[in-house]
This record gives sequence, C-alpha cells and structure tokens, in this order.
Amino acid sequence: MTQMTRREILSDIFRTVFDDPELEIGPEMTADDVPGWDSLSHVNLILAIETRFKIRFSQKELLTMKNIGALLKLIEGKTA
Amino acid sequence: MGQIQDADERLIKSRQYNIGHICTTQQCSAGMADKTAMRWIDQRGCRSEFTFEALDAQSNRFANLFLSLGLKRGDVVFLFLPKMPVQFFAFLGALKARLICGTLFANFGEEALLDRLGDSRAKAVLTTRSLLKRTLNIRPELPALKHILVADGCVPAASGTLNLKELLDVASGDFDTPLTGANTPSVLHYTSGSTGKPKGVLHRHGSVLGQHGTTREILGLRPDDIFWCTADQGWITGTSYGIIGPWSLGVTQVHYGGGYDAKKWMALIEAEKVSVWYSAPTALRMLMREDEKIFRAADLSRLRHIFSVGEPLNPEVIHWSRRLLKREVYDTWFQTETGAIMIANRPGLPVRPGSMGKPAAGVEPAILADNGAQLPDGAHGGLCLRPGWPSMFTAYLGHDDIYRRKFKRGWYHTGDTARRDRDGYYWFMGRSDDVINTAGHLISPFEIESALLEMEEVAESAAIGAPDGLLFEKVVVFVKLRGGLVRSPELELKIRLHVSNRVSSIATPRSVVFRDSIPKNKGGKIMRRLLKAEYTGSAAGDMSTLEA
Repeated sequence: MTQMTRREILSDIFRTVFDDPELEIGPEMTADDVPGWDSLSHVNLILAIETRFKIRFSQKELLTMKNIGALLKLIEGKTA
Repeated sequence: MGQIQDADERLIKSRQYNIGHICTTQQCSAGMADKTAMRWIDQRGCRSEFTFEALDAQSNRFANLFLSLGLKRGDVVFLFLPKMPVQFFAFLGALKARLICGTLFANFGEEALLDRLGDSRAKAVLTTRSLLKRTLNIRPELPALKHILVADGCVPAASGTLNLKELLDVASGDFDTPLTGANTPSVLHYTSGSTGKPKGVLHRHGSVLGQHGTTREILGLRPDDIFWCTADQGWITGTSYGIIGPWSLGVTQVHYGGGYDAKKWMALIEAEKVSVWYSAPTALRMLMREDEKIFRAADLSRLRHIFSVGEPLNPEVIHWSRRLLKREVYDTWFQTETGAIMIANRPGLPVRPGSMGKPAAGVEPAILADNGAQLPDGAHGGLCLRPGWPSMFTAYLGHDDIYRRKFKRGWYHTGDTARRDRDGYYWFMGRSDDVINTAGHLISPFEIESALLEMEEVAESAAIGAPDGLLFEKVVVFVKLRGGLVRSPELELKIRLHVSNRVSSIATPRSVVFRDSIPKNKGGKIMRRLLKAEYTGSAAGDMSTLEA
C-alpha cells in the first residue's frame, strides 16, 4: 500500500469491480459516468473498498457520498 | 374469451402481424404520426421526444441497414445495450426486416454473453463502446457472428467493428414491411433453468395479440395515458410491456436511462405526468425504505395505477402504497415463456394482498399434482396453463426435446407452484426447481457454479437462492477450496466479483459459505435442497439419496 497512492488503489478497485482495465476515474465522476455502476455493482464496489483499505463505511456516509472525489476524501479520512 | 379475441384481432390489418409495423407504421396510418411515442429522459435528466412518425422512420432505417449487411429473414441479431433510444429503433427495425431480435442485459459478463450469442448463432450484435470489449474478447469463439455494430461513435477500424452512425446516415427512412404471418419468429430472450445453459425462448409475431390485449385489459391503458415501465429491455417485461404492448395501442411511453433513485423517480412521475406505472417488487421494497417525506412531497395526482411484476409482491408493499401513495399496487404474473401477463390483479378486481390475482381473458390455468391430476381449491401443486394463448413461446432454440417436455397431457408446466382459493384467486407458493429468483430475475445455479469452477482457488461449488427481505431471494454460494487454501475476506470478495463479471451483477453472491465438501446425491447431483435447508435452518426432507 505504501507504493501506491490511495487514488491509485481506488482506481485499481474500480477497474476490477467494473472489469475494465482502461477505466479512468476522476473526482467529479459519479455513477452516471461509469458504465455498469448500478445499485448492484455499487454493493460490490463498497465491499471491495472496505476489504482493500480495511475500513467500514456507515450507512450515513454511503448516502452522502456525491462523487468519486468525496469517496476518496472519505477513504483518506479513515486511513490517515 | 371470444369478445377479447375479436377485439384483438381488429389490431391485425390485412393479415399483417409484424410487430415493428404495428407499433409504428400502423399507428401513423391511424392518424397518430405526430403523437409522442417516447419521451426519453437520460440519466442526467435531459429530455427528448420521438413521435410515432420518428419511431417509424428510425426503425425503417434499421430495417434497411440490417438488410444491407446481408442479414436474411430468420437471422438472429442481438442488442447488447444500456437503455438508450437506439435500442427501441433497432428492435423494431429488426422485427420489420423479419429478423429474430434478442435483447441482452447490459451487465452481462463475457460468459453469459458467450452462452447467448453462441447458442443462437447470432449474426450481428449492436453494442456500445463501453461494452464492446466483452464482445471482442469472445469473438474468436463465435464463428457465426459476422457484424459488430457500435452505437455511440467511432472505434478503431482494426477492431473489425462497424460504426452505426455512418451506416444509419446512408440508410433510407422508407421501408415497406413485408407481410408477416403470425407464426414468423420475432423476439428471443434467454431464460435460466436449474440444469444446463440458459435456453433461448423464441416468440412469434402473433404474440402481439397477447401483449396488446393484456396491456389494454389488465394494465388498462387508454389512448391519453403516459406509461412508464421501469424494466430493462434485456428482459421479457421490457420488450412485451416496455415496447410492444403500449405502442401497439398508440400510447406514449416514458423511458428513463438512469437507475434506481427514489427522489428522481418520484420527480419523473410528477413531471412527466405518468398515469400508469409498471415496476417490480424489489424496487417497491427499496422505495419503502426511503424517507416518507419524498412521497408526501410528490404530486402523484396524475398517477392512476401502479402494477408490479417479477416476483411475489409482499402484502406489506400493498399496505405501504395504500397508506402513502394512496394507490393499490396490482401484482401481475407471467414468464419469459408466456410472453404476456397470464394471471393478474387489476383495477375492478378486489386485491387480496399476497395473491397473484385471477387469470387474464383467454387464459386457463390449473393446479396439478405430480401425476397430472387436477387438484381441488386450496391444494398446493404445479401451476399449469392450457396451451394456445397468442403469446405462447414457440421453441427453446435448438432444444426441441426440452420444449416438448414442458407440455404434458395437454398442459404447459410453468415450473412454479401455487394454489387457488375457492374464489378463483391464485397464490404463488414457490418454484418446483432450483432456479433462483433474485429481484425478479431468474438465475440458473448452474451458471454461477460453472463460473466459480473457473477460479483456480475453487474445487467445488454450489449456488442456491435464500429468502431475502429486499430481493425476494438472494444468491448464496457454497465453496470448497482447493487443498491448502484458507478462507479470507479478500478471497470472498474475489468470488463475488468473479461471478458478477463473468455472469452478471444480478448474479452476485450476497453470501459466500466455505465448506469442506459440497453434498451430492449418489448420482453426483448437488443437493441444493440440503444446502438451502442448512442455510435457512429449515428441515431438509428426505436425504436417503445423499452420497455417503
């Protein structure tokens, strides 16, 4: 984890979950910008992030996440 | 039945049963050329309108385009697309050209895609850039596949694909739909069984009579209605009631490109003045969990009826809707094989919460015992239908033997079990096989198990559906790991993602159970019943065939 930044790890998680090695993520992106990001794959995404970073999101945190930038900020806060 | 049948037969002019023609050209001829056929709202909320005249011209372009590629009557073309306007045009255009049109859920993984494109020997597939990779990865295994069309912009020529826009630009908007008989093959959907690969359920153009009749008589659509069916076009509801039924009646449909979002959905119903809404129990149960303020704030005054399909509707949903939405939710029941609603609740029929309702006009169900004897009211048995309804499937593609086995002693066996009460209401009880019904989608345990066995860590696998408050059933998998491997959260995640990416996100296991062995009977068949009983804490029943 020390060699990859949190953003790089998050990018890797997105590529794995959405099965797209070329997927590029940006802070302003939302579910509307990523093909296949629906309520079902969202569960996989959150689980993948929690497992990889060894963190847990609360229901409130999940509901208030607006975009990938907010998600990254939340991860940084929990892993700092 | 006679009156309904006569009314439906009036839909057919000069023996022209072509669904594409009836939904477009015939509506224009009836004076509705300028009427809005589709209000398209994309995921960002941008709105476009398409009249029946536009629907006709766009679908004509597709018919011409498909024929210009050398596709011939009876060839299979698949649409592997997220919800987008071109999906509707291409579907109707393919039918006008008398091609067989299959639709695929955009979240299908490569394995699910290969099963369907390969089994049907599809000649062409229309997809998008974001989904293209999955098709290209399996193309070497699809010798029959001649054309891959990309709907949203250009891709490198080296990929061997065709740019849809370039082809459409030169395709004529005029097309004379050839006279199409009722038995001409039309729509292809794949459905899952508990054994073997998914099977292609083939329908015929004459099915339009069933979809038209039930849209009018069960959903109660009137010419001035605004109808919203939330189903994806990859499923039978999405084609029968998200395309064919309403447009055969000249009704305006709303189609939305975004996913589930309670606030956006209520805003859409309000803004678009949706008068009849057809959704699914899982979506309704998700809405039940939302803040009530969302529904109290929404102006739903134009909403006349709510219908549901996909899995049994809990009485709690009906009570919630009565209290908060001030509307009944009418549950309907049908299958990919039936092509149209068979048993349903409907306006004018008092709702008995939890019941499937009563048969549609012309449909004759029965509850049969295993020996074929008709059971009395109140008894639990196999739900069967007397064959001959207009939208009855005509084949499991390439599996005549399996098709024939579905019909015994003059009845079609649905695979569902049910009972009928003394007043003629039907009550769903369950499945007579191991097929998993999750969020209204039937998933084959075999598909999931096969995907799991691709993983180098997995020695044996089994999949079941377990009761779930939101999804009706959730996918639970049992895994025996190869020697020396130990369970871990990372491995559990890998298993979930593998199934999601190879089969479909809908098939994602919600629970992974690691076991030292997978129970099988003496014939080597996985004892899913035992696993289900173990998982749910219920009685397993007769275990005499369990392998020692």
